[in-house]
Amino acid sequence: MAARIVPYTTESSQPKREVNVDQTAAPSGPVGPTRQRRGSLEDRIMKQAFLLPAVILLIALVIFPLLWSLGISFTDIQRGGAARAGPGLLGLGFDLTGGNYARLLRDQRLHIATFNTVFFVFVGVTIQYALGLFLAMVLDQPFKGRNVARVIFLLPMMTTPVAVGYLGRMFFDPARSPIADLLRRVPAMFGAGPIAVPWLTNPDYARWTIVLIESWQWTPFMTLLLLAGLQTIPSQLYEAARVDGATALQVFRSIIFPLLLPISVTAILIRGLEIFKIIDIIVVSTGGGPGSSTESLTMYVFRTALTFGNYGYAAAIAFVLLVLIVVFTTIFLTVARMITLRVN
Amino acid sequence: MHGRKMWRLALVYLFVIFWSFIVLFPFFWLITTSFKTPIAVARGPLYLPFIDFAPTGEHWEYLFTSQRDTVLRHFRNSLIVALGSTLLAVVLGAMAGYGLSRFRYHWRLTGWRNDGIAFWIISNRFLPPAAFVVPFLILYTTAGLIDTHIGLIIAYTMFNVPFAVWIMRDFFNGLPIDLEESARVDGATRWQAFTRIVLPLSTPGIVAVSIFSFIFSWNEFLYALMLTNYDAITLPVLIAGQNTNRGIEWWFISALTLVAVMPVVLIGLFLERFITRGLMAGAVKG
Repeated sequence: MAARIVPYTTESSQPKREVNVDQTAAPSGPVGPTRQRRGSLEDRIMKQAFLLPAVILLIALVIFPLLWSLGISFTDIQRGGAARAGPGLLGLGFDLTGGNYARLLRDQRLHIATFNTVFFVFVGVTIQYALGLFLAMVLDQPFKGRNVARVIFLLPMMTTPVAVGYLGRMFFDPARSPIADLLRRVPAMFGAGPIAVPWLTNPDYARWTIVLIESWQWTPFMTLLLLAGLQTIPSQLYEAARVDGATALQVFRSIIFPLLLPISVTAILIRGLEIFKIIDIIVVSTGGGPGSSTESLTMYVFRTALTFGNYGYAAAIAFVLLVLIVVFTTIFLTVARMITLRVN
Repeated sequence: MHGRKMWRLALVYLFVIFWSFIVLFPFFWLITTSFKTPIAVARGPLYLPFIDFAPTGEHWEYLFTSQRDTVLRHFRNSLIVALGSTLLAVVLGAMAGYGLSRFRYHWRLTGWRNDGIAFWIISNRFLPPAAFVVPFLILYTTAGLIDTHIGLIIAYTMFNVPFAVWIMRDFFNGLPIDLEESARVDGATRWQAFTRIVLPLSTPGIVAVSIFSFIFSWNEFLYALMLTNYDAITLPVLIAGQNTNRGIEWWFISALTLVAVMPVVLIGLFLERFITRGLMAGAVKG
C-alpha cells in the first residue's frame, strides 16, 4: 500500500516534508539526531519513555484481553459463576471444554449472523465505493460553492450512529415517512396504487435497508479520501489525454483508475473493517429483527454475553468474527497487490 | 465547446444539489419532527411548518424542564468521557508518535523496527470490539469499573491511541528537526525540546487527533451499553433506550437526538479542514 500522496503540502507546504514522506520505500523511517548521539544516557531513557506508555496500554488492554478471551472460549464460564453441579476444574468453578466451538458449527443463528455481516460488508463497501467515487469526481470539478458542498457532504459522518439508526427507522416507516409518501405519490401520477415496500419488516429487504442507512452515513468517507486522491492527479495528464483524443472511458481506465488505486485500496479496507463491527445502526433500526434475521456478529456476541450471560460461547463467536476479519484482510490485500502489479 | 462546458457545469450542480438534499433532508426532518405534536406525527408525513402543521415547542420545553436533569446528566457523562479519553489519547499519541518519528527502535522479540511497530499500533484500531466484550466485562466487574467515567475513558483511550500515534507520527515526520537540534545545543533537554518547541508547532496535528478522538468517544455505543448501567450512561445509550419506553415518541426522540448530534455536527461544520487533513494523514499513508 505504498501511497505517495502528500496531504499537508497542498496547504501548509512545508519544504521538509518530502524528505520523510516515502516511509514505505526507506528501509527504516526516522532520520533523527539519535544517529549521531547514540550514546547519551538521557536519549536512551527518553527513547523508551516516549514510546512505552502507549505500548504498555495496548498490551494491557488489547493483547492481554485477547489471549484471556481465547482461554475463556475454551471454558463454560457463565456470568456470575452461574449454577452448575460440580466445583469444576481444580475447584475454579468452570470446566475446560471444546463444546463452544462444536456448537458454532450447528448454531443456525450464528450462521445467519455471519451471512448478514459478510453481506453488509460486501454490499456496503461496493455501494459506498461506487457512489463515493462518483461524488468525488463531481466534487473534483471546478464550480462555485465547492467548499460548502464538501462540508455538507461530510455531515453524515459526524452524526452519532444511533441517531442515524433512528433516522433510518423514521424514513423507512411504511406509512408516515417521506419515502412512503413518495412511493404513494409517484405511482399515483400514473394512476397506479402505492408501492408498499416492507423496508424493515422483511429480512430480505431489511438487510438492504440497513446497508442503505449505513451508506448514507459512510459514503462521505469514501468521497473525501478519493477526492483528495483525485486532486493529486496533475491536470496536464487530462489535457494530454484530450489532445490525444481519448474518450471519457479511456481517461478513466488509463489515468484515474491506476492513479487512484492505492488510496482506493486503503479506503475500501478501512470501510470493510469498520462494517465488520456494525451494531449501533442495526440495534436501533431493526433491533436485529424480525426475529434475529438481521443480526450482525457483533450484535450476537453482545447478546450472548449480556442477555444470555454465556461468556464462553460469546468469546468463541468473537473469534469467528476475528478470523473472518483476518481472512478478509489477507485475501483483499493479496488481490489488491495483484491488481496493482498488473496495472503498473 | 462552450455549450458542452455549460452542460457539464449544469450536471455538476444537479448532482451536488441532489446529494446535498439527500444529506440535509434527514436533518430537516429531525428538526421539524421535534416541533410536531404527536397527532401531527401520527397523521403521516407533514413537511412544512406553519403550512402543513402548527409547530409546537412543548417537546423542547419538556426536554429542558422536567427532563432537564436527566438530559444534563447524560450530556455531562458524554462530555467527561469524551474529553478525558481525548486528553489521554493526545498525550500518549503525541509521545509515542514523537518517539517513532525521532528514534530508531528495534524490538528483538518480534523483529519489528519503527515501521513495524507503527503498523502494529494502528492495526489495533481495527480489531472488533466484540472480541473484547467478555474479558472487559469480567475485568471491569472485578475491578469495580462498571458504570464509572474512568472505566469508559480507559476503554475509549484504547481505541483512540492507535489513530493518535499514527497521525502524530506522520505530523512529526513533516516537522524539520533543526529547531529541536538548536534548542538542544543551547542546553535544553529532549523533554524540554519536545514540550516547548515541537508541541507548539504541532497544533494542527493535535487538533486533528482531538477531533477524531472526541467524535469517536462521543458517538460510541457498544462499550457504553456494555460497561454502564445508570450513573455513567452516555447520550447514545440514552437515545437507544428510548426505543422501549412507552412506545416510540418520535417528537421527543428527535429533540433528544438533536441535542446529542449538535456538538459533533458543529465540529464538522467549523473544523472540516482539520478532519479532511487528519483523514488523509491516517489513511493515505497506510
